[in-house]
Formats: sequence, C-alpha cells, structure tokens
Amino acid sequence: MQAQVQENRVEWEGALVQRAAAGDTRAFERLYREHSGRVYGLCLRMTRDAQLAEDCVQDTFINAWKALSSFETRSSLGTWLHRIAVNVSLAKRRKSGPVVEPDPEGEDGETGSWTLETPVEVKELEEAIGALPDGARDALVLHALYGYSHEEAAQMLGIAAGTCKAQLHRARKLLKERLKLEVN
Amino acid sequence: MAAPEDRKVRSLAELPQAVDLPRDLWPQLQAQLKAAPVEAAAPVPGTRARVAPLRWLAAAATVAALAVGVFIGRGLGPVSAPGTPVAQTGTPAPQAAPLRDNAALDAAFVSDPRYERQRAELVQSLQARLNAMPGPARAKVMASLTAIETAKKDLENALGKDPSNALLQELLINTYQDEMRALTDVHEAGESGKGI
Repeated sequence: MQAQVQENRVEWEGALVQRAAAGDTRAFERLYREHSGRVYGLCLRMTRDAQLAEDCVQDTFINAWKALSSFETRSSLGTWLHRIAVNVSLAKRRKSGPVVEPDPEGEDGETGSWTLETPVEVKELEEAIGALPDGARDALVLHALYGYSHEEAAQMLGIAAGTCKAQLHRARKLLKERLKLEVN
Repeated sequence: MAAPEDRKVRSLAELPQAVDLPRDLWPQLQAQLKAAPVEAAAPVPGTRARVAPLRWLAAAATVAALAVGVFIGRGLGPVSAPGTPVAQTGTPAPQAAPLRDNAALDAAFVSDPRYERQRAELVQSLQARLNAMPGPARAKVMASLTAIETAKKDLENALGKDPSNALLQELLINTYQDEMRALTDVHEAGESGKGI
C-alpha cells in the first residue's frame, strides 16, 4: 500500500516536473508545496537561523527552477532538492561566518541507529542538535534525520566519507554529553 | 516544527523532517521565477539569426510527437482521447476503461469533432514536413519527441489512477493544447515557405 502510494506520487511528480520544465509555474507551485517543508527543515537545521533558512529555501527553488530541464525524472526530486539546499545553505553560512574545517580524528565507523536510551522531548533534542558544531550537525542531520548514507551525506557536503563518519562520531559524543544519556 | 515540541521521541529518525514555514514564500518566489526562465537542457550554440529556426524545431518536435502517436501508433484512424494509451491500429487500448472515466476531459476538449478534424488535417500535412527534414533536424525532433511522450504517458498514467484530479486534467489539456498550437505553427510555416 505504502509502495503504491509512493509510486503514484513519483509518477505524479514526474508529470509536474515535465510541465514545470516547460515553464508552467502552477506545476512548479505544486512541487514547491510538496517539498518546501522538508527543504526548510533541512535549511533551518543547517543554518540555525529562521530568516537565513527562508532565504535558502527561496534560492533552492529558484536554482531548481532554472535547472529543471537537467533533472532526470527517474531520480528522486526530494534528494535533488536537498542537494541544492545543502549547497545553498553551506554557501550562505560561509558568507555569514568563518568556516571551521572538520576534524577527521576519531573516525571509527559510525554505524549506530541513533536511538536514545530514554525518550526525550522533541524540543530538547532539537536544541541539543542545534548546539552541535556546524560540521558535526550537518553530518548528523543528513544521516540520522534525513536518512542519507555516509557516502551520500559526504558527497552532499563535499567532504570525504571518512570525515563524515568522524563528524558523526563527534556528534554522538557531544549529544551524549548534552542530553546526559546514551545515544546508541 | 511539524510535531508538538513536547512530544517525546526515542530516536533521531522520529524527528519531523518537514518544518512549517513561518510564512508562505510562494508569492515572492513566483515573482522571481518570472525573471529567471528555465534553462534549456542542451542549449544549441548559435547567433540570434538561428533563433527562429530553433523555435521552429521546437515546434516541430512537439508536432512530431503527435505525428508518431498518430501515424506509427494509431495509423490514420480516428484520433482517440488523450487519456487513451497508444495502441496498434484496430487494437483496443488495454487500459482504456479506467482512463475513459475522465469524462470531464473528454467533454472539455477531445470529443469535440472540430478538434479531431483539425488535428487530423494538420497531422496529415505534417508527415510531409517530417519527411522533408534534414537528418540533424529530424534527430533533434526525435530527441524532443521522447521527452514529450514521457510527459504525456506520466500524465495519462497518473490520471488513470486519479481520474478526478483537476490539476492533472488541466496539465494534460495544456499538453494537448501545446501540441495543437505547435501543429498549427508548423503548418503555417510550411504554407508561407519558411523552413529550417
């Protein structure tokens, strides 16, 4: 049932992409309404600034609109938009502050499922994630929240897969300290 | 956040991926889109003098899709409704039943005999234009044709599963209207002696 719903959504999305690529803004509006929440969620978590995240969403969709004709409808539009959003967010963040290069130490294969030993309120967890250093937070958000593999997250962030794992290791350690509980 | 903030979660994967935007960005975005046209997938290098032939090619590409749909897929028989999948001449379309439920679409557009007649006439004259095209132009037409056919199939499939979806109906009608417009453009260009 779930697979059928997903299949319908993809077909429906493919048709909208084709129309939008031909200049149909109504079709593009539907795509925007479908994806803007997830794009905003990603941008907000990466930038930690609501206004900056809004700008990122705008830029993401403008860039997507311009490049729609190069999008291959067989791939996921959501993933494609996320790639654009990550690039836009990183660029905005570079403009608004100094970049701290990731520290690759501590890499030892991050394979946990990111479960907490006791339940935590959404707000508390979001705050703990928001307090992480940029590099660790980026890797954590893409991998643990949005479900991208180490390799996908690393590619999106323009870093090595090993560095991404190291950042995840660091994120786990810092979350554990902040939440005062085990993060498995 | 999309979920109540006091809700408790046991895993990071349970956090909502989507976050509600504080305001609707669409009106602002829409204004910016008008100033930022969609870029062509494979821009053809050339001067302004080549713009008209390229536009002609784009129009011909749309029409070629129609030509293939009719000449190759359906022969010279009556033009079927846009929701009907392409089938060999004389063979009933296998998925016709659910797609034909789209009565609003039929009534609005395709069941009009004037439309069918005009389209058939234009398609008939189009075949000669396609035959007269030079190889590279024909290749471009065929490449565009594939993309157009894909779009039509996507829409038809989606409509088959959700026949009452008004936006899908509108999108499909728009696609067919685009074809008709292009078909007319090519026909008029042929009559006036303009070509590639």
